[in-house]
Amino acid sequence: MNERPNVVIDVANLTKTYASGELQVQALRGLTFTINRGEYVAIMGPSGSGKSTLMNVLGCLDRATTGTYKLDGIDVSQLDDNQLAEIRLKKLGFVFQGFNLLARTDALRNVTLPLFYAGMPAKERERRALERLTEVGIGERARHKPTELSGGEQQRVAIARALVNDPAVLLADEPTGNLDSKTSSEILGLFDRLSASGRTIIVVTHDEGVAKHSRRILRMLDGVIISDAPAGAPV
Amino acid sequence: MFAYFIEAFRVLLANRTRSILTVIGLVVGVATIVSVQVAAQGMAGAVSGIFKGTNANTFFVFPKASQGNVVRAALKLSDLALVQQSVPGVASVIPFSRAPSIVDAGHQRVRLRFGGESDKRFSTSPLVAGRTLDADDIARATPVCVISDNALTRLFPNAASPGSVIGTSIYVGSKRYVIVGVFGKTKIDTAALGLDISNDVAIPWTTFYNNYQRGSSFFGISVLAEQGADLKKIEKQTQALLAQAHGAQYQYFDFGFFAQTINGFFNIVGLIVGAVGAISLVVAGIGIMNIMLVSVTERTREIGIRKAIGARRSQVLLQFFIESLLLSAFGCITGMLLGVALGEIVDRGFIARISGVTGGIPWLEAIVIAVGFATIVTVVFGTYPAYRAAKLDPIQALRYE
Repeated sequence: MNERPNVVIDVANLTKTYASGELQVQALRGLTFTINRGEYVAIMGPSGSGKSTLMNVLGCLDRATTGTYKLDGIDVSQLDDNQLAEIRLKKLGFVFQGFNLLARTDALRNVTLPLFYAGMPAKERERRALERLTEVGIGERARHKPTELSGGEQQRVAIARALVNDPAVLLADEPTGNLDSKTSSEILGLFDRLSASGRTIIVVTHDEGVAKHSRRILRMLDGVIISDAPAGAPV
Repeated sequence: MFAYFIEAFRVLLANRTRSILTVIGLVVGVATIVSVQVAAQGMAGAVSGIFKGTNANTFFVFPKASQGNVVRAALKLSDLALVQQSVPGVASVIPFSRAPSIVDAGHQRVRLRFGGESDKRFSTSPLVAGRTLDADDIARATPVCVISDNALTRLFPNAASPGSVIGTSIYVGSKRYVIVGVFGKTKIDTAALGLDISNDVAIPWTTFYNNYQRGSSFFGISVLAEQGADLKKIEKQTQALLAQAHGAQYQYFDFGFFAQTINGFFNIVGLIVGAVGAISLVVAGIGIMNIMLVSVTERTREIGIRKAIGARRSQVLLQFFIESLLLSAFGCITGMLLGVALGEIVDRGFIARISGVTGGIPWLEAIVIAVGFATIVTVVFGTYPAYRAAKLDPIQALRYE
């Protein structure tokens, strides 16, 4: 039984060590924190601080070397590749800096992709995908290919895709890194809206402007969390 | 599962130039093998068709070429009677000459040959007017002849119909022969086979012997066995009988043997072409593997996206495997159709012209070959690229530029 039903991410003593040739690189040096359902958290830090590694581990793209990680009540620390894929499919939605849409595939089919892997029938897939595209304000552009869409539109498609499986956590890695300031604020506005509707969002960024949209900021340096404070608190 | 096929089809269609270039090798390989199959089938049909008109109960005996005493081995008129009387199951025995005699008939030259009773042993042409030579003609050495369509057009360019020349005479030197029958166009172009068994003018072999060959020996003899007789046994008995009588060696062959030889030849051709085709398919398969590996590398980021979204290894594997499958299936089916078409061109344009017989299209063999090669090529050459795609690490793949 989950004794803390509000906790969606529960990390304890998490470490990650890379073997880089002869060298052992300790990217994460024992992290412990929890994130509640509905929280909007920014993870900040300079490059090399370990925030990308943490993002990969939280996103179940990578496994921690030691420590435990419970996602939505499931201990994912010891899962194999296929089980992790299953978790990513059902519990997580990714938004990347470079959008990462399939190039020759139109917006609608990009969004249906997770449902395709979940084995949903084609009709149902398209219905849900269109729903999500409409939700992020791009429903009328569903049949356009990524090359025919602006950066902001592409990111909206990526967000729709991340949400289509109704994930427990939305993970965004520098979601506005490739966008101009006007489009950035639109995307951040969309995040605000999603947060307000109860989504759990984790944004990895080095941009204070992005981070200040969140409610809580985890600051990292050299593989440890140096500060965990509500947004707007003095650094 | 069906969704994967649609997905793979979309990918291949998006890269259609590359997809088509990839499968050309496979198309050529399968087309080669299938066309040879079709042609060989046509040839087999043709060989049996060629000898359909001839009497299957016939065999030929002649002295072995490589023996010392040619004179002692030479077959004479007396040998005909000897075989006829001593070997049970023999219906009739007639001599045959190796080459027809070219003789002058009026202003034309015609090829004169031995004619036998009912004239079925050498000719597959249909009788269009009159009658064939009969037993009486042979026995009495009558001065009659039957002529071919070729001789008809040359000797009687103004003849109204084949029937109109029946009863008229042709002169060969000082000898006169009354035309009793006309044969139609042979359906077999025997000259193209290097086997000239149709000649212009046939007279009873006894007449031929009396007029042109008296006292000389024959190149060989042709034996017609009774219906239902054991041909192999009669052949052996005849061979032994003549060997004993002459103290020399003889060889024989029948149409079955001839057909076997031709079929055997085409089987060997089929094997050789099959081997070459198999090599070309290996090359084509490597081509497909190469393109799929390029495709995996090119689409590393795409694979990363798919995996990050939650595609399992097996799902990525399946996707690439099905792309290979579609490529090779497309190549093999196209190759099969092309091969059938090529084989039919050879069959109808060449083999059927010689034989007058078209072999059926061996669809079953063609389909088995195409499906077989598609499966082998996919499994052997499609698995590795698919495996490479499936085991990509999503983080590395996403970082790939």
